[in-house]
Amino acid sequence: MAQSQSTEFTGSGDDSTVREVHANGLCMNTTEVEAKLDEGNIQEAESSLREGLSLNFEEARALLGRLEYQRGNVEGALRVFEGIDLQAAIQRLQPAVTEKQPAKKSRSRTESIHAVSQHAASLVLEAIYLKAKSLQKLGRLSEAANECKSVLDAVERIFYLGIPDAQVDNKLQETVSHAVELLPELWKQAGCYPEAMASYRRALLSQWNLDNECCARIQKGFAVFLLYSGVEAGPPSLAVQADGSYIPRNNLEEAILLLMILMRKFCLGILKWDPSVMEHLTFALSLCGQTSVLAKQFEEIMPGVYHRIDRWNTLALCYSAVGQNKVALYLLRKSLHKHERPDDLMALLLAAKICSQDNLLASEGVGYAKRAIDAAQGKDEHLKGMGLRVLGLCLGKQAKVASSDFERSQLQSEALKSLDAALALEPNNSDLIFELGVQYAEHRNLNTALRFAKRFIDATGGSILKGWRLLALVLSAQQQFSEAEVVTDAALDETAKWEQGPLLRLKAKLKISQSSPLDAIETYRYLLALVQAQRKSFGLTRNASQAEDDKDNEFEVWHGLANLYSSLSYWKDAEICLSKARESKAFSAEALHTEGMMHERRGQIAEALASYINALLLEPSYVPCKILIGAVLYKMGPSALPVARGLLADALRLEPTNRNAWYYLGVVHKEDGRVADAADCFQAASMLEESDPVESFSSLF
Amino acid sequence: MDTESPSFATPETTTPAATSPLPGSPTASSSISTTTSSSITASVSRAQTVIESLSAIITDLPSHIASSDDPAQDLLHNEKVATQISDLLRQPGSGAGDNPLCRWLYDTFQTTDPALQLVVLHHLPTIAGTYLSRVAHDRSLAGFEAVLLALYAHETTARGGQSVSVNVPDLSHPSVYHESKEPSKSNATGLHLAVISPSLEPYGTVRSTRRARIIGVALELYYSKISQMPIRSKTDFCEFCEVWAGLDGSIYDDGEEDDDAKGGKEHDQADGEAESRKEKGRKEAGRITLLWELLQPVLRILGHCLLGPVRNKELQTAASAACRSLYTRALHDINPKAILATESLLRLSKMSISAENEADPTEISQSNIIIL
Repeated sequence: MAQSQSTEFTGSGDDSTVREVHANGLCMNTTEVEAKLDEGNIQEAESSLREGLSLNFEEARALLGRLEYQRGNVEGALRVFEGIDLQAAIQRLQPAVTEKQPAKKSRSRTESIHAVSQHAASLVLEAIYLKAKSLQKLGRLSEAANECKSVLDAVERIFYLGIPDAQVDNKLQETVSHAVELLPELWKQAGCYPEAMASYRRALLSQWNLDNECCARIQKGFAVFLLYSGVEAGPPSLAVQADGSYIPRNNLEEAILLLMILMRKFCLGILKWDPSVMEHLTFALSLCGQTSVLAKQFEEIMPGVYHRIDRWNTLALCYSAVGQNKVALYLLRKSLHKHERPDDLMALLLAAKICSQDNLLASEGVGYAKRAIDAAQGKDEHLKGMGLRVLGLCLGKQAKVASSDFERSQLQSEALKSLDAALALEPNNSDLIFELGVQYAEHRNLNTALRFAKRFIDATGGSILKGWRLLALVLSAQQQFSEAEVVTDAALDETAKWEQGPLLRLKAKLKISQSSPLDAIETYRYLLALVQAQRKSFGLTRNASQAEDDKDNEFEVWHGLANLYSSLSYWKDAEICLSKARESKAFSAEALHTEGMMHERRGQIAEALASYINALLLEPSYVPCKILIGAVLYKMGPSALPVARGLLADALRLEPTNRNAWYYLGVVHKEDGRVADAADCFQAASMLEESDPVESFSSLF
Repeated sequence: MDTESPSFATPETTTPAATSPLPGSPTASSSISTTTSSSITASVSRAQTVIESLSAIITDLPSHIASSDDPAQDLLHNEKVATQISDLLRQPGSGAGDNPLCRWLYDTFQTTDPALQLVVLHHLPTIAGTYLSRVAHDRSLAGFEAVLLALYAHETTARGGQSVSVNVPDLSHPSVYHESKEPSKSNATGLHLAVISPSLEPYGTVRSTRRARIIGVALELYYSKISQMPIRSKTDFCEFCEVWAGLDGSIYDDGEEDDDAKGGKEHDQADGEAESRKEKGRKEAGRITLLWELLQPVLRILGHCLLGPVRNKELQTAASAACRSLYTRALHDINPKAILATESLLRLSKMSISAENEADPTEISQSNIIIL
């Protein structure tokens, strides 16, 4: 568009602009020639040029064509160029096939040959190039592309030995660079995508002595084409593949490679900064989920390109997307500092969300969430619901580490209030519905939790596994084990084989709760076969975290079986299962827990105590062992009672809804003679008995 | 453009969907699956059979399509036919197992004729869009599911069930496009392997937890043929993106307006508020859970619509609107990966608009003194 404007401008302004042509040391005003051209008299215009500047026919024609092109008269230019037999001219310029690499001594002679042929070649090639440009402007794109291609073919044939850098004629180089850059563009506009791919590669993989800017434009153009054309290019031909070098195998790889090369050139200062390159790279790498690589790219960019706060926030997104939330939070703390940009809504929400996943960060998250709610104004008001949502989540987490009962219940009800307020603003947000379900369930408001769990399954059409698990767990907490099993079976129906693990585990536990250990063993066996098959069939293609998951799954199965056998007093089987579990996870509080229980039930109190204490050393906040130590200690006489009481109180601080902890605390109070306290604890235990799920609700996140 | 892929030539063997979901359907594939003699006449007659059966479903089928030299191509690009099919697909009850249009789409895809399969893919945005927005409330969608499963099965066969991965390059290794000073010790170090589409299992039914994946894979197939898709199909897709996002992104629209338009716009805002609220209600009702396995192919397609080689004003407007909605949604989900991807797309679309007026680097230098 800009082009046609500029040519129109020069075309209409020919009163004011006087053009001159220079050749052979002569100079000539073109007004007269242009007048002849306007009359359509090409021959006369040509002959006046030939006379005025002592040119031959081809030179005069090429000059005329250029004049017409520059005047914006592309049709006229095309007519002139069509009058020259350009292919024949190229043929003449080609060196004879027999000509050999000249010996060193005749160097001066070959140089002069080069010089002559370069000048002649430059004239012909420019003519063909302008012909291609004229055709492009007339919308005859494939013809234009073919002409343009013939420029490059000709260069390769004429200078098949190459030209030493120092001797390249400027004008020739300019024409060649232009043609190299134009060709893929023409094929692209003509809709010939495979040809466009090939000419991009030809431009970048052959030696055209392009300057940095031109090469960068082609690299960017190709990367963009690879990323967005939707046409798969296939790997580059074997001819260009060097040993040990990286060869892109598909569009994404090739595009990322080119964009990274461009980024490196920016960093080295070879190129002027172009923000779009980084955006393309961001898009490509986020699609691949490789935002840690993206973060590295952002870190390499010189200071001064991005504002530091923008850079911190983007880096935080990159790291958070690959689960490196600690790093992300560290960056966000910097950018949200009161001297930086404390009201950045996205940063506040992300920081609050990260904090909401960790008990100990929750109170910090509450601060961010409140600031986010305040900042969600005007244009950003639609994010207010999100602020309330993360506030609710953070409060819920904070409640878990509250130091007093009073504080806990206050935080919990605030959390629910905040989530309810969020739901009022975003009634269709299914994540929110789920979170409310879990929150109510943890609060042991099981009927409401059940309602939300059902609503979540309806809203998502049952497409999210954790929805099914929530429903089954809530039902199990209501002691409706057979209903929970029905839900689990329905969920199994909706799940593909490899994702069934958590459901099968749940099912086994439901079977145990329904006192059918044999069915439970059967379910565990099936689950075990599944886990092992999964590891075998995906063994090589799995990444580290998936392999870790596989191990965890296998551990869970063996551990579950060990517990089951031990509850049936099949000590041998239980021990085998436990040792199998340890093969996948050598140090685990859960395994030590089971081991201790087995010792205890066989009367080996000292060994049991040792196992429990070891478990606590591995995981200081492992509640079940705290309770069990408390339970063992109270039997050891009055001197151990204070210790037992301390452990149990600590367990209750961590898990206020733990029925066993309340029960044993009651026992300790009773032993100590505090009957009223004991009665309170027993009452709490008996109320909680009815509301324990088979797996903890926090396992849902 | 060559659309032949090896799987087209062989009759699909691992398509569990091929028989089960539509028991009564006349299996067009069985009679014509011998594509060994895939001469032009055979494919023309196949297309004519398909068109004939379509004429029983839609009311107004231009007669010139059946008699053309390349009926499949004409069918693909005929606006009138596309509108009728799209209208029918959006009608209530359109996705039922006994719906004749779904059966036609299914049969047409099973002909394994690449050109005819494109006709089915043309309508994938509408099928996926209508299906996903309805599936939570409406259980009678077996017709849609059969078509989607057929696409999924096709892609599974074409890939041999393999995953698609990307080896993210590391510049310390030399490549075809650059040299590196430090010699690489081993090829494996420093490369980041990213699985962009995990391996595929054959599915005979749409299990609800695999729904997003099945549609995601169908969209991957769509993306691989997207350069042959009519604009209409892509704009349909963009519209459904907005519905799926369930959020209005117009607050992030500051790309194209100039200064004098800004004042007027604020004025309009008050007037249009009631209207936009109604619109908002319609959009929010279609909101779905956007898992990455669905969102990723969606974003690739959007990238093509926004920045692909074919620049079409209408398409770009639709794609920018879709992108804004998805960006808003990404913010609401606090989904870092989606925020990064959609934000960069938004910025790029703004940049591409302002870049349209830049000088053409392939233009020759225009000086008044021409030196030979």
